[in-house]
Amino acid sequence: MKKLFAACIMLVVFSGCGKDPAVPADYLGGGVLKDSSIYFPQNYVLSVSKPNPTAAEALKPVIITCHGYSASTYEWSEFRAWSAGQTDYLISNVLLAGHGTTYDEFKNSTWHHWQASIKAEYNKLKAAGYKNINFAASSTSCPLLLDMVHEGFFNTASSKVRIFLIDPVIIPSNKSLSLVGIVGPVLGYVESKDEAGEQKFYYHYRPQETLQQLQSLLNVVRTELQSGFSLPQNVYMKVYKSKKDPTADPVSAVLIYNGLKTAAGTPIDLEMINSSLHVFTRLNLVPNVTAADRANQLYTFNDIVMRIF
Amino acid sequence: MKKLHLICLCVCCAYVTPAQQPILDVGLRLQQTINLYNENGFSIAWSPAKKRHDKLYLGFSYATSRLGSAFHSNAIKQDNLLVSGAWFLRRNHIIRPFGRINTGLFNASYGNKLFDDLPSKSLLLSPDVGISFETNHPLKIATSFGYNLITGDGLSGPGTLFPAYYQLTLSWNIYQPRGNNKEAAAIKKKW
Repeated sequence: MKKLFAACIMLVVFSGCGKDPAVPADYLGGGVLKDSSIYFPQNYVLSVSKPNPTAAEALKPVIITCHGYSASTYEWSEFRAWSAGQTDYLISNVLLAGHGTTYDEFKNSTWHHWQASIKAEYNKLKAAGYKNINFAASSTSCPLLLDMVHEGFFNTASSKVRIFLIDPVIIPSNKSLSLVGIVGPVLGYVESKDEAGEQKFYYHYRPQETLQQLQSLLNVVRTELQSGFSLPQNVYMKVYKSKKDPTADPVSAVLIYNGLKTAAGTPIDLEMINSSLHVFTRLNLVPNVTAADRANQLYTFNDIVMRIF
Repeated sequence: MKKLHLICLCVCCAYVTPAQQPILDVGLRLQQTINLYNENGFSIAWSPAKKRHDKLYLGFSYATSRLGSAFHSNAIKQDNLLVSGAWFLRRNHIIRPFGRINTGLFNASYGNKLFDDLPSKSLLLSPDVGISFETNHPLKIATSFGYNLITGDGLSGPGTLFPAYYQLTLSWNIYQPRGNNKEAAAIKKKW
C-alpha cells in the first residue's frame, strides 16, 4: 500500500514536471503571433527609430513605457494612441525580455532579464544624448524599477528622472502565488482567466518557472522596502494605485509608501484611484468600461505628461 | 491548623501524582508566514487534569509582526489573536504528533489615512498539524505547519493575510515541578 501511495505521488510530481501546454497558433506564445515591436521596432523603440537625435530632439522629454508580467507593449498602446500627433515629447515602448514571443522564451527568462530590457533602453537613450528620460511603468515593471532605484541605477543620472508607477505589484491579490515554489513544479503552468481577445497580447499560459521568478522579484523588492530606501536627489516618483485592483493587491501601495521616501525624507506622491481594474490605464479589451474608468485613464495620462516638463 | 494540614497534603499529593494535575504550557510562539512576515508572540495551552488529560489542549496565542518583521522596519504592523483546540497523540512519548484548529482575529495597521479604504481586519481560521517534543522536564517544543482557510485579496480581506505558515512554540508547563520527578521520568522515556 505504501509503495502504491509513493508511486502515485511520484507520478503526480513527474507528470507535472516539464509539462508544457499546446499553445494555439492564434495565442501569443504559440510561435506565430509575436509582439508588434519585434517586427517593427522602429515604430516602438526610440533607440531604434531615433538613435541620433538632433539637439532639439535630445532635449525633449522621453517616456519609456514598461508593461507588466505576461503582457506586451499592447499594455501602453492607448497611451501611444493618445499621444499620437503631439511633438512635445517622445515615447519608447520597451518589450520585456521573454515577453511577446514564444512560450519557451518566456519560460526560460528570469526577472533579471526582464529588468535588463528596461536598463538597456535607458542606457541606449542616455548614450544617444537624450537629456530628459522618464518612465511610465505598470504592474510588474514597477518592482523592476523600484529595484533599479534601490541598487543606485539612477544615482549618476545627470538629469531629472521621473518615474510613474501604475498599479504596482508588491503583494499579489492571489495569495496562491506564495506557494508556487511548492506546487509550481507539480502544476507545470497556470492558465490565466483573460478576456476575449487578450490572448493575442498577453500570455494565456504562464510557466511556473516565470511565476517563481515573479515571486522571487516580489520578495526581493518587498524586503528592500521593508528595510527602507530613498530616491536619489534627481529622481521623482509618483504612484497611482487602483483601490480595488483585483490582481496587484492594493496593500502594495502601503508597502511602497512606507518603505520609500524622497531624497528629502518626505513621503513620495501617491494617489489611490477609485477603480476596480488592474492597470487602469489600459481599457482596450476590458469589458464594461465605465465613464469613470475613461476619466481615470485620461486624468492619469494628462498628469504624467504634465509632470515631465 | 487542620485546614493548613489539608492544604499541605493536597499540595504534596499533587506533586507526587503528576498525571492528576492539569497542564498549563506557557511560552513563546515564533511564526513565519511563507513568503511574507515573521510574527512572534506568546502562547498559552491548557489540558485538563482528568478526562482527556494531556490529549486535549485548549489554547490562546498572540503573534504579531511588531515583534518580528515590523520591528524597526517598514513592514506592516499586524496582529493575530488565536484561540485553539488541539489533540495530541502518543501520550507519555517524547515525540507526539498533534492536530489543531485555530480561530481568531487578524488586524493590520497601515499607518496613514490614505489607506483607510483598504480592508484591515479579518477572521482567522486555520488547521495546523505538527510534532511536539517533550522530555521529563516541563519544557515542550512544538512545531507545526498551518494553513489559513481565510486569506485576504485586498478587496474583501487584508492583503497581508497569507495562506501558509509554520511555527515553533517553546513552552513551559508551570504546573510540573522542576528537578527530579522520578514518576514522570519513568513514564516518559518512550520515544
